[in-house]
Amino acid sequence: MASTTRLGMLCARQFQASSRRVLLQPQSLRQSSTTLSQRIAPFSTTTQRKILPPGPQVVRGGVNEAAPVPPPQYVIIPRNNGTAVLSAMNTTSQLFSERAISVALIPLTLAPFAAGSLNPTTDALLVAGILVHSHMGFQQIITDYIPQWRMPGYRKLFDYALLLATLLVGIGFYEFETNDVGLTEAIKRIWHAGANDATVGKSDLNALGHDGKLKNLKE
Amino acid sequence: MSVNMFSQRALQTSMRRLALARPTTTTMRMISPAAIATGQIRPATSGPHANTVSVSSDEAYKLLAEQRVHRPVSPHLGIYQPQVTWYLSALNRITGSILSGSFYLFGFAYLVAPAFGWHLESASIAAAFASWPIVVKLLVKGTMAFPLAFHSLNGLRHLTWDMGAVLTNRQVQVTGWAIVVLSSISGLYLMFS
Amino acid sequence: MASLRSASRLTTPARSLFRPAVRTYATISESGAPTAPTRNLVPPEETKTVKEPAPSKDAKIKTFHIYRWNPDEPASKPRMQTYTLDLNKTGPMVLDALIRIKNEVDPTLTFRRSCREGICGSCAMNIDGINTLACLCRIPTDTAKESRVYPLPHTYVVKDLVPDLTHFYKQYKSIKPYLQRDTKPEDGRENRQSRDDRKKLDGLYECILCACCSTSCPSYWWNSEQYLGPAMLLQSYRWLADSRDERKAERKEALENSMSLYRCHTILNCSRTCPKGLNPAKAIAEIKKSMAIGSSM
Repeated sequence: MASTTRLGMLCARQFQASSRRVLLQPQSLRQSSTTLSQRIAPFSTTTQRKILPPGPQVVRGGVNEAAPVPPPQYVIIPRNNGTAVLSAMNTTSQLFSERAISVALIPLTLAPFAAGSLNPTTDALLVAGILVHSHMGFQQIITDYIPQWRMPGYRKLFDYALLLATLLVGIGFYEFETNDVGLTEAIKRIWHAGANDATVGKSDLNALGHDGKLKNLKE
Repeated sequence: MSVNMFSQRALQTSMRRLALARPTTTTMRMISPAAIATGQIRPATSGPHANTVSVSSDEAYKLLAEQRVHRPVSPHLGIYQPQVTWYLSALNRITGSILSGSFYLFGFAYLVAPAFGWHLESASIAAAFASWPIVVKLLVKGTMAFPLAFHSLNGLRHLTWDMGAVLTNRQVQVTGWAIVVLSSISGLYLMFS
Repeated sequence: MASLRSASRLTTPARSLFRPAVRTYATISESGAPTAPTRNLVPPEETKTVKEPAPSKDAKIKTFHIYRWNPDEPASKPRMQTYTLDLNKTGPMVLDALIRIKNEVDPTLTFRRSCREGICGSCAMNIDGINTLACLCRIPTDTAKESRVYPLPHTYVVKDLVPDLTHFYKQYKSIKPYLQRDTKPEDGRENRQSRDDRKKLDGLYECILCACCSTSCPSYWWNSEQYLGPAMLLQSYRWLADSRDERKAERKEALENSMSLYRCHTILNCSRTCPKGLNPAKAIAEIKKSMAIGSSM
C-alpha cells in the first residue's frame, strides 16, 4: 500500500515536473509562471527533499550468498487472567487477529445505520474495536515506512509513541463512553445538528420529514 | 553454416579493429612514453581500446561496491501507470489514516480537555457544529463520510482476498471500480443525510 | 499525513548517515544542495533527439523516450533520450525497436535481451508505465502517442535499461528453491507425485523470474531489503505446494516475521503486470491462509 507520505512525494514530483515544463514555455508565459513559482517556493519546502529516499546501493555479503532471513518474531502480550505469565504471539496470529477484528467491525459498523444508535455495551465494543483496528493499522504504516534495519532508533521511538498514544486515546474514550452519550449517538447528534443540510439549494421545506431529513431518503 | 558466419564476422571485426588501431599506433610512436606515463598526454584510444589492468578479485569487488554506491534508483511512483489496483490500495491507507487519525485526535483531546478547559462534550460540539455555515458543515461531513464509505467497502474486498477468493485480474478490476462507484454514492448519501 | 511528514523530517539526520561523503560531489542540483540518490530525471526536451536514419515518404514515425544513465559519468543525472523510428521498418515488438535503435541509430543504448520470445526474462522493463517483457510487448501503433521506456521501477540502475538484480537473486537463494527431503523415495529412484498433486504446481513453476511483478509492488519498492516480493513468494509457494517437499514447517518458519511475507498488503499490481499471466497475489494469499490455519492461536 502506497502511503500518504509517498503520495506526498508523488505530488512533490509532479509539482517539480510541472514547474520544469513551464520554464520551457515562451517568454511571456514564463514571466508569469516564474513569479507564481517564486510565490509558491517559500511554502514548498519539501519539493526538493524526497521523503525517505532509498540509500545508495549496498549489497551485503557476496553475490552468491543468500539474503539473510529475518528471525521469527514473537510478540509478547500479557495474558488477561492477571498472572505474570506472558504468552507469545507470532506474526501470523497477530495478522489473523487483525482480520478477525476487521470482520467483527462489519456488523458493529452496520448496526448503528440500521438501529439509529447503539446501546452502551455495543457502543463500547465498537469503540474498542476501532481503537485496536486503528492501532494495528498505524503499526503497519510504521513497519512499512520506518524499516527496522535502516533506522532502528526511530523505529523504537515510533513503536513506543504509538503504544502510548493508543493507551491515552483508550483512556480518553473510556472517559467519553462513561460520561457522555456514546460514540454513535454523539455522531448522530452532531450529524443532524442545527439547520438542516437537506435544505441546501432547496426552498421547499415540505419535502422534509419531521426530523428534517428528506422524505424520499428515509426509506 | 553458422560456424562459417561467425568466423567471417570475427574476421571482419578484427580487420576493423586493426584499421582503427593503426592511426593511434603511429601517433603513439611520436609521443614520448614518459609523457604518457606521467599522464600529460592521454592516448587517443578510449572506450573499447582502453588499457585494461588486471586486479585481484578483492580489488575488483571493491571497485564494484564503489560503482554501486553511485547508481541511481530508477523512477517508480512517478512513472508507474495509474491503475485501479495500487491507487485504491493507497486510498485505502489514506482513508484509514484520516478516520483513525481523527479518532485518535478526538480521543486524546477529550482526555486532556478538562486540563485546558475545552468543552468537547457531544452536546457542546453539536451546538457549535449547528452554528457553522452549511458549506463548512458539508465539508466536514464529506471528509468523514467518503473515507468511511470507501474504507469500509474496500475493507470487505481485502477480507475476501485474504480468503484467497476473487483474485483474478478481471475480478479485481471489476470489484475495484464497483467500490469506487458504491463508495461515492454512499458517501454522498451520508454527507447529505 | 502531516504527522508522517514531520516524522520523516525527524529522520533526516539518520538518512545522511547512509549517504557516504563521496556522494556529495556526484549530484549537485540547481539550488546547490546535494540531492538524494533518486536523482531527478533530465527530461527529453533538454536532451538531443536522435532521428530515424533515413525516413521514407510514407513513414510511420513513432517517438520513444528512453531512460539513459551512463555509469562512466557517475556525476551525471539520468536523462530521457528521445529516438524516432519508422514503424514500417521496425519489427512489431518494443524489443525490435530497441534492437533497431542500438544497431542503426545509437550503439551506446544498453539493455538486456536474450531469447526474444518471453522465456528468458532478460528484457523486463517498464514500458509506458507497465512492467513487462520488451519482447512480448507490441509497440502501440498509434504514432501520435509517444512511448516511454524505463528500467524496472525502484531498482538500482547499472546502465540505461539494465537494473541490478543481485539482491533479487540473493533473495531467491534465501527461500531454498529446491526439493528438500529427509526420506528416500520408496522405489529408491524417483520421488513420485500423483496427477492431482502435480496439477497444484501449474501456474507456479512457469515463473521465469523476470522481476516484473516484484518491481511493480509499492511494498517491495519501500522494503525490498527484507520483504521477499511477489516473485519470491510465488516461488516460495511453489515449494510449499509441492507434495514431495518435506521441509514445509521450516519454510513457513522462515516467513514467520513481519517483513518477509507480511509486507504484502494485497495491492495486486503483481498479478496485473505479470507478462506470463501468472497470479502471484493468489499464491501469496494461499501462503497466508496456510500459515494462519497451521499456526496455533
